[in-house]
Amino acid sequence: MTKQMKGQMLFIRGLLNVMFKGNALFYVWMSVLSGLIIAGAGGYVIQWQEGLYISNMRDQVSWGLYISNFTFLVGVAAAAVLLIIPAYLYSFKAIKKIVVFGELLAVSAILTALLFICADFGRPERFWHALPFLGSPNFSSSVLAWDMIVLNGYLGLNLFIALYIGYHRYHGREPKKNLILPVILLSIPWAAGLHTVTAFVYNGMAARPFWNASILAPRFLASAFCSGPALMIIIFQILRKTTDFKIENKAIAKLAEIIAYAMAINLFLMGVEIFKEYYSATHHLSPMQYLYQGLHGHNQLVPWIWTAMFANIIGFFLFLIPATRNRLLTLNIGCMLIFAGIWIEKGMGLIVPGFIPDTLGEIYEYMPSQLEVIISAGIWAFGALLYTLLARAAIAIDMGRLRHPEAPPAAHDEEEGPRAKDIMSTKVITVSPETTIEDVSKLLVMHRISGIPVVDSKGKVIGLLSESDIIFREIHHEPHLVEKLGDMILPRTIRASDRSGSTAGEIMTSPAITAPEEAPLKDLIRPITEKKIKRIIIVDKENRPVGIVSRIDIVKALEHIAP
Amino acid sequence: MRKNLSRRSFLKISAAGLCASALAGCSKWVPDSEFFGKKFTEMSPQEVQETLRRLEEKYTKKFGLPFSVTAEPPRENTVFGYGLDLSRCIGCRRCVHACVRENNPSRNTEIQWIRVLKMNKGGFDLEQADQYYSPEQVPEEGHFYLPVQCQQCENPPCVKVCPVQATWKDADGIVVIDYDWCIGCRTCMAACPYRARKFNWKEPAIPKEELNPRTHYLGNRPRMRGVVEKCTFCIQRTREGRYPACVEVCPVGARKFGNLLDPKSEIRYILDNFRVFRLKEELHTEPKFYYFFSLGA
Amino acid sequence: MKFLICTSSFLFILLALDINAHGSEERRVVLPEIYSSGLFPCSGCHAGMQPDARKRDLSFHQDIKIEGHGEPRRWCLDCHNPGNRDTLRLVNGEAVEFKNLPLFCGQCHGRIYKAWQRGIHGKRTGSWDSPKQYYLCTRCHNPHSPQFRPLVPAPAPARPKETLRR
Repeated sequence: MTKQMKGQMLFIRGLLNVMFKGNALFYVWMSVLSGLIIAGAGGYVIQWQEGLYISNMRDQVSWGLYISNFTFLVGVAAAAVLLIIPAYLYSFKAIKKIVVFGELLAVSAILTALLFICADFGRPERFWHALPFLGSPNFSSSVLAWDMIVLNGYLGLNLFIALYIGYHRYHGREPKKNLILPVILLSIPWAAGLHTVTAFVYNGMAARPFWNASILAPRFLASAFCSGPALMIIIFQILRKTTDFKIENKAIAKLAEIIAYAMAINLFLMGVEIFKEYYSATHHLSPMQYLYQGLHGHNQLVPWIWTAMFANIIGFFLFLIPATRNRLLTLNIGCMLIFAGIWIEKGMGLIVPGFIPDTLGEIYEYMPSQLEVIISAGIWAFGALLYTLLARAAIAIDMGRLRHPEAPPAAHDEEEGPRAKDIMSTKVITVSPETTIEDVSKLLVMHRISGIPVVDSKGKVIGLLSESDIIFREIHHEPHLVEKLGDMILPRTIRASDRSGSTAGEIMTSPAITAPEEAPLKDLIRPITEKKIKRIIIVDKENRPVGIVSRIDIVKALEHIAP
Repeated sequence: MRKNLSRRSFLKISAAGLCASALAGCSKWVPDSEFFGKKFTEMSPQEVQETLRRLEEKYTKKFGLPFSVTAEPPRENTVFGYGLDLSRCIGCRRCVHACVRENNPSRNTEIQWIRVLKMNKGGFDLEQADQYYSPEQVPEEGHFYLPVQCQQCENPPCVKVCPVQATWKDADGIVVIDYDWCIGCRTCMAACPYRARKFNWKEPAIPKEELNPRTHYLGNRPRMRGVVEKCTFCIQRTREGRYPACVEVCPVGARKFGNLLDPKSEIRYILDNFRVFRLKEELHTEPKFYYFFSLGA
Repeated sequence: MKFLICTSSFLFILLALDINAHGSEERRVVLPEIYSSGLFPCSGCHAGMQPDARKRDLSFHQDIKIEGHGEPRRWCLDCHNPGNRDTLRLVNGEAVEFKNLPLFCGQCHGRIYKAWQRGIHGKRTGSWDSPKQYYLCTRCHNPHSPQFRPLVPAPAPARPKETLRR
């Protein structure tokens, strides 16, 4: 066996271990899910043998519970982008830490959505007809063909990001930013595109006035950006309750804020749509009438949609009011209300009324059959099980429990608490060695700082020029002052021999004390106490300054940690 | 140790369950030449012939009747058009049942390619229509009748949305389906403004004595579970020059059929001399199914 | 189809008739019908009878009722040729054979006659591009009460709820 294969075996064994080994609660959870999956599989066997006849779908209402769930899940998947935007566009650290769980949620949601599609196909074994090269996807004209590409592309993107980051962490390496960042950034427009294209599948059908409204795609996005984060908030709380993984309240609060905005937009768009249909009151009003009021004595969906409406509105207010948004209990109630509300609104409440009344004016009231419910529950359980296993693997890798034996122990694995990059101020003003002392002094005064890194032409740190250096320059020809003040204003160890000169390069303290971004707090405190310096320049791998940690930053960080 | 045991047994049980259900599922279906087959439009003439012979053999064996399966191509300079005289139709549904006898749709889920709507005189509101009327005699006082079937659109939305190109508009304007290529996603059914498309919700069943063994590959050959089908203007008849079954059976002669490109055809006479309309013109599907009124009161 | 056919004494015999009236080169075959249940030719009885133009209760043809066809003015000899009972009589007095019935009906129903000639009025069977069968007026219309008779509709489709799996 080659070394590489051995390593892979080790990884797989470790992976299975962290995925499947757990406490009693975990086994109960897994048993419940497996039970549902087996029941669902059994139901599907019946469907396979008898055909979709076992569903309550008929020619009048030819899509039902499966496609409803598909639509909803695509929204959940698209919402993963809501972690990526704050994490990578705004460097929101509390969310950056958990962004991988959003990606795994996207992966699980897409796979689950694809299963729903398969469950809905009359001939699922012919799925390959839709594949490029093998089959004959109807490109440019069929939105569904595009949707398959967008869905699978999104699945690929998220899978790649999660695997890549996970693999590097497993080996104790930092992911290559210039490789992974473009992929991560690409996934942002892709997510919006994913849900837009899915909306277009319905939106493009002139035969179905209920879907043929331009507002459909925006509504899809708005509702996805409520239901996705609502699910994530619940998942994150379960993760931090049941595992040792830490998720900050800050991250949850951010998501809750997003829900409030998204729900406001969603409710607004819904109102706009209701106004348009009811005020113009054309024939195209019928599906909406069926949904909200009942039509010609048929009103099976009415209680459902009003439940959804109330759930969404109550949920919205729970998220809008800071007091209820910041209390975990009310927050969780809000999440569940919104999740259920959107599930009804966007699933059954969107797909089914599209067919009622049908294109010949007939009303067939669809409610899913028992087997449809069982199969759907099985598919949902599959999604939950998949996510459980993926999240467990991700946590194990992140916490260092699943790690390559030769991987260097990363600093943050041993160190709890903040690291340099978390507490540094990122506003760094640098000067070149040729800058005159006058200019440096002006900069110091202007920006109210007491020290400034000196960098070479490539931006690499070659020294630090502090106000002490400037004072020392003024007094260096007066030995008694040097004797008196020297220890006070300059670290003994780096006292320069020649402090005369008129440029930054000539009088700076060199080499400067620097630390990497990942340095834990204690590595920052040590030089400050030992070398009596006031600030540490935080540098990246190329020795370019990315931040400054001053004494006050450390005091603030300590205050934060203190019980 | 206990933990390990429970985990292992738990895994075993779930794996066994999954395998069992997977096997049970597969036992009904074994991939065959149809599964790996080509799309009709991509077959060479020789492959088409081989496929037709194979199907003839298969159907003959399966149904105990000598089947013929042809793939008669569209005729030159021919685009079919259909006229339906709403002032004549009495809603007797002879067309519905003649179509069923001709085109081999499933009897057990009662697939019918033609729907006859009983409409209220004085309006054209489909929501007020009744498809399930069953009086002792038709026509009924205060009503007229609107038969609807595939409108063979010039811009067929069903063709546009099909993700796998399993349905297309042939040169003579007939929108056809390759039943062996359809994946059963039913997007075409959602897209059709006329509810022309029907799905085989379960394995079709037809009494032997009701089978029509003269079939066309893209038309009335026996279908399978999980695929979509629809009116093809009786492609197996019309490409041989015959009238569709619904035209021939109509007792009031309300149904007209012919070549739109032939200025002397019946359908062209209708377009030139009567006022016609098409269902849901605002959708710009451009049906080649024209409703007209030959009579006043 | 059969039960629609007029109850009066008309049955069909196949006869070929060229009605190439509007100059189309397309050959058409018409299915005309000639009368019967054993009554035709009419002259079999009427040859020796004196024509009686008075309106009265018929003692023999009791089944014939004129309904929706110009009653109460209409009477037998408006159409039937008193000179030759095996023919009809045009308005101008000219005799016309039963097999040329459309010409006769077309005297009043000109637009319908024209539509029939063009294949619009009445049903056609056969080929859309070559020989086809035209049906004579009396195939579908009882000449004495020509309103199309109501029919028993064929069975309605099943409602979707009725086809749900129990």
